[in-house]
Amino acid sequence: MLPVSIQVRQALGKLVLPALLLLSVGVMIAGQVEKRATEKARMAVAGALAPLWSMISQARAGVADVSNGIRQARHLSEENSRLEAENATLRRWYDVAVSLARENDALKTELHWVPEPSPSFVTGRVVADSGGIYARAVLLVAGMQSGIQTGNVALAANGLAGRVTEVGPHAARVLLITDISSRLPVMLESSHAPAIMAGDNSDTPRLLYYPQDTRPLEGERVVTGDQAGAFPAGIPVGTVHYTHPGTPVVQPFARLNQLTMLRVFDFRQAEIEPPEAPGHVPLSHPAHRPLALPFKTLLSPGQEG
Amino acid sequence: MSPMQWEPPSEPQDTLGQRLDAAARHLLPSFIALLAIIVLSAPLGLPGAAELLPPIMLGSVFFWSLWRPSDMPPLNVFFLGIFMDLIGFTPLGVSAFILLLVHGLASYTRFGLMRLNFLLVWGVFGLIGAAASVLQWALACLFRLHVLDPAPAFFEALLCIGIYPLLSAVSSWFLHILDGKPTS
Repeated sequence: MLPVSIQVRQALGKLVLPALLLLSVGVMIAGQVEKRATEKARMAVAGALAPLWSMISQARAGVADVSNGIRQARHLSEENSRLEAENATLRRWYDVAVSLARENDALKTELHWVPEPSPSFVTGRVVADSGGIYARAVLLVAGMQSGIQTGNVALAANGLAGRVTEVGPHAARVLLITDISSRLPVMLESSHAPAIMAGDNSDTPRLLYYPQDTRPLEGERVVTGDQAGAFPAGIPVGTVHYTHPGTPVVQPFARLNQLTMLRVFDFRQAEIEPPEAPGHVPLSHPAHRPLALPFKTLLSPGQEG
Repeated sequence: MSPMQWEPPSEPQDTLGQRLDAAARHLLPSFIALLAIIVLSAPLGLPGAAELLPPIMLGSVFFWSLWRPSDMPPLNVFFLGIFMDLIGFTPLGVSAFILLLVHGLASYTRFGLMRLNFLLVWGVFGLIGAAASVLQWALACLFRLHVLDPAPAFFEALLCIGIYPLLSAVSSWFLHILDGKPTS
């Protein structure tokens, strides 16, 4: 400390503030004059502080991560309780389903129910088919040796894919429902109205010939119908969608662009012939109608010709 | 037996630890202000961090100059202002000048202000903050050589008035800790 008297020191202390004010004014002017030096000084300070700032922002990111984790954990517990509630509901429904299945079995036993023959099926791998006469058809590596016959129904994982048109010894060609030559009798599930589903080589086959008083509804399920006897009824095909007003199309359940496996079912639909019924005039097969006069069939079989 | 040598009566000297402790206590307000500048300039994504910095600095300089000028000497104020200007993008020296003016006002009027009610001190600080904001705006206009939008200055003055009670409470708590005795 310099040996100065108290009075001088007090006077100097009073001078510090005005001197610093003057100095700051000088710094202002110097900063305006020497802009480049100012920028350099700013950059030097920012460069020195950059590690500190990155540390601060890392700490902030860490805090944000932790809080995010806590929020997610809270969400997790909510999700868990929701799933537990749903599980309890589903367990109740499972009990209901089991009891209903038992009741159904019991009632069928009481009624001496004749069980439907469960269809036999074979599964084959799909190979892309570029040749052939159809635009939308696939080749299946399973053929006559596996028991596949022409007219069998090919199902993808969750819906109808097509039907077998040609069978070789080791391969079968399946005509998809989107092909332009595919015409299928279908049924609209909620109104039970029949219609024809016609492929047009696009991904969504069109619906034709539906009754004018029951129009297909948007989102309605479409299943196969058994009008022509080609398909068993009730195989899920797709849902109704309107691309334009008045032109309903079907969005197939099966992803026909990405087929890898197909199950080919033999429903033996064609073999189910109605038994002979004397006095019954068959309507469904006009080709089989006897050419004789109708009253002849009224006679007893023994008296016939 | 040698004669007892007379020793001058000496006051008990402070130990090194005590002196370091005193120095730390003196530097603490400036250090906290420095930390506030660094944290508020960091890219934290806090809303309004850049707008918040000048009012906080004005308020803390005012508070410490009023209650404990020895802990906020003019030299520290000057360096804090220069540091603020270097980190922010205000013209170099403007913040230092304004902070020094506030410091001078507060330390010359402190014996009148210390007797006043808190609300009156708040009002005085509001006036000083508004004047500082206007001065900053005027200096910015002068350096850019055209009239800038006065809305940010108005906002800054409002922030000064709004943030002072909180700042005062926190700083009073610090003062209390530094003294170890209750302060008004």
